[in-house]
Amino acid sequence: MEMEQTVTYLVLIPLMPLVGALVIGLLHMFTCTTRPLSERLYGILGVTGPVIATILAVKTFFELKGMPEEGRYFSQKVFTWFNVGELDVAMGFLADPLSVLMLLFVTFIGTLIHFYSIGYMAGDENFGKFFAYLNLFLGSMLILVLADGPVVMFVGWEGVGLCSYLLISFYSKERDNVLAGNKAFIVNRIGDLGFILGMSLLFWAIGSGGFDYLSLRENASALAPGMGLAICLLLFVGATGKSAQIPLYVWLPDAMAGPTPVSALIHAATMVTAGVYMVARFSFLYVQAPLAGAVVAWVGILTALLAAIFGMFQKDIKKVLAYSTVSQLGYMFAGVGVAAYSAGIFHVFTHAFFKALLFLGAGSVICALHHQQDIWKMGGLKAKMPTTYWTMLIGCLALAGCPLLSGFFSKDEILYMALANGYPGVWLVGVLVAAMTAYYTFRMFFLVFHGSARDEEAYAHAKESPKVMTVPLVILAIGAVFAGYLNLPAIFGGHQQVTHWLAGSLVEHHPHASLGLELLAIAASIAAFAIGAFIAYRKFGQGAEEPEFQGFAKFAYNLFYVDQFYHAVIVRPYKAFGAAIQRTLEPYVTDGHVKLSSLLYQLIGQAFKVFQVGYVRIYAIYMVIGLSLMSLFLSQTLN
Amino acid sequence: MIAELLFSVFAVLAIIGGLGLVLARHPMNGAICLVMTMISLAGLYSLLSAKLIFVLQLIVYAGAIMSLILFIIMFLNIRKEDLPKEEWRWAYYLGGIVVIAPVGLLMTKAVKALPGSEASIMGNGFGGVKEVGVVLFREWLLPFEIVSILLLVSLVGAVVLAGKRRVEQ
Amino acid sequence: MIADYLILSIILFCIGILGVVSRRNVFTVFMSIELMLNAANLAFIAFSRLHESMDGHVLAMMVMAVAAAEAALALAVVILLHKHKSKLDTNMFSLLKG
Repeated sequence: MEMEQTVTYLVLIPLMPLVGALVIGLLHMFTCTTRPLSERLYGILGVTGPVIATILAVKTFFELKGMPEEGRYFSQKVFTWFNVGELDVAMGFLADPLSVLMLLFVTFIGTLIHFYSIGYMAGDENFGKFFAYLNLFLGSMLILVLADGPVVMFVGWEGVGLCSYLLISFYSKERDNVLAGNKAFIVNRIGDLGFILGMSLLFWAIGSGGFDYLSLRENASALAPGMGLAICLLLFVGATGKSAQIPLYVWLPDAMAGPTPVSALIHAATMVTAGVYMVARFSFLYVQAPLAGAVVAWVGILTALLAAIFGMFQKDIKKVLAYSTVSQLGYMFAGVGVAAYSAGIFHVFTHAFFKALLFLGAGSVICALHHQQDIWKMGGLKAKMPTTYWTMLIGCLALAGCPLLSGFFSKDEILYMALANGYPGVWLVGVLVAAMTAYYTFRMFFLVFHGSARDEEAYAHAKESPKVMTVPLVILAIGAVFAGYLNLPAIFGGHQQVTHWLAGSLVEHHPHASLGLELLAIAASIAAFAIGAFIAYRKFGQGAEEPEFQGFAKFAYNLFYVDQFYHAVIVRPYKAFGAAIQRTLEPYVTDGHVKLSSLLYQLIGQAFKVFQVGYVRIYAIYMVIGLSLMSLFLSQTLN
Repeated sequence: MIAELLFSVFAVLAIIGGLGLVLARHPMNGAICLVMTMISLAGLYSLLSAKLIFVLQLIVYAGAIMSLILFIIMFLNIRKEDLPKEEWRWAYYLGGIVVIAPVGLLMTKAVKALPGSEASIMGNGFGGVKEVGVVLFREWLLPFEIVSILLLVSLVGAVVLAGKRRVEQ
Repeated sequence: MIADYLILSIILFCIGILGVVSRRNVFTVFMSIELMLNAANLAFIAFSRLHESMDGHVLAMMVMAVAAAEAALALAVVILLHKHKSKLDTNMFSLLKG
């Protein structure tokens, strides 16, 4: 390779939030019981790290922009982490177009969410703890994004898993929240196992030439086809865990148990995007295994369909948004699966804006209604909360794929690429899901803001949220409108800047499809949006009563009983297996030795206790006997 | 000739005193026997031309330490019925002799292996205050200072241990 | 003969040990220890005479100082024991029994 640019501040980007987490955590730990510190202090400390990280991220971006297009990257090796045999892993960070794009919106949206949390968490007794976790979460995500190899990425990967557990079960006084945290953690662990296996196979196959992305990318052509497929599929198992795809999506809706800013952070900036990022990162592997790509695309689009079905029948506002996230993640995987990596990453990028916006808006609504989350108990909030209303409207339009907003461009790009790369089935399902997305998004929107109030008392107390919460909403709304124009395709007169920017990091072929195909894709997307939104308006635009679910609707409302199915097929037998081991194996095989040896020591102690008579004279006699024996022995040798 | 006679007399007296100490039931009798041993030992030191140690043995040991012990024994006012019963005393004596015999025999064997030497009394220039003092303050200065600290510590310790307990009152 | 002094020292030392191991009276045990110290002193002086050097004398003085310190502390302890239990029997004090 050509000369490697080295900078020294790259490590500071993840380090700043991590240091913040440490400082806030220690402060909270030592003061929370004696004399709690003020929320203002925690708030200032909590946003300092993310703000510095954001500034550094922008600096990184401009430095990278100033470099020539080929070899546009720089890295920093902080220290050698471990060096075993051929495996030489440094704690190294890499900034290239892909990671910098992720870096920009992760830090930006993460910082906004930190500011918003100051308002949302006000008055919570564990205010300090919350910001410590939030900083740790952001720091872990930044490690994941900036890692220069799979091993360091795995550190961040595990870090976000841990933080999601900590934050989902943040209100730990209620058992359900703790169980939701456990579920997220355990399901993620299953995915992590796939990631570890894939990483190990990757090292076994081509790791000897260096185990960072750049070396792996150079050596990727040496990979046997079967091995490449296995590695790609195993890595995708890891991605399904972190990014909530079939079959491991079950944790994400339950993750709504955490505070709303946490949901926004998990869904928009951190954690769930990690899987998509990882697949794009390993694009040099996936282009070699088209079958793996097809699997990714189909799993993704089916997840999108399933989640959209669930989303149409939910009554918890955050659950609706959660399933919309799962659904949009499905789109992203469909994108990276059909080898349109830049389209997938671009959807991650735009999705971060409008999903953060929607969650923070939902948080604003929930806060105003005193933690009421049931959309069938809301209604008519348009008049009371104008800022929230207009920003939420933009978010919903973007999510539903309204033309000229960000979600439209990125989603359309994915669907068009699916069609152009020869996946018409994926495209068809995708269009259907787009219509369903528009339907459930506006179902929620109309139920919350339009019609008449269903709960008069809560409505009477509702008022607009404070500035610290609405300002991030406005900023995100601007982003949700205009983020799409960064990657405007040629048909709208754009230059696809994001795709060109990412070209250095990704291995991607751009098919030259006919204009007719492109027009067909656009027309289908617009039609899907219009039909979905229209049906929603007809059913819910003028106010509606909560329906009794029957038949399929009830089945979908109960999520196809997937949780119950998992419980019966996996959890219950596993528990029974554990109980059987506890009854048979543990007392005799594993604990037996330990108990026996402790018993032996006890017996020896009992035996020697006899000599401890307690009379000082007897101890003196012991000593003299020893002296005497020694004398006998010595007089044998002395002549 | 006279020196050897004196040695025999003092040696016998010292051994008698030691045995008396071990065999006497009442500690007062034992203490008197020990005083006898101390004085005999002082005589033996003088036969070995250790003039300073001879004096110190009489003043410090036989004088100060033994009178302290006697004083405490009398202070506690020990009567016959306060003493421990010690029914198996003779058995312990016998067992003790059996156990100690190898130690004594080994040391005797080692002493026998020494080259023989006359123990004639030496005149000036050995064992006087000046000779001991020169060695003590030249070569043994640090141990000497440490011993002085030890004495101070034991003084304080004795006061703390045996002194009146104000807290309890 | 110097050897005679040394043998006398050994005899006295053994008598001291015998007193420590066979008697239960606190005072007798304590004085037996003093007897052992004196036996050691005699050996020091005898060796000093044998080698015609003064070091043995210095050591004997050290032993005396240590004996004095020990006497002060030990007697204080004896007084304490007597205060607590009004007994002089070493077998009365067996808190260390296993």
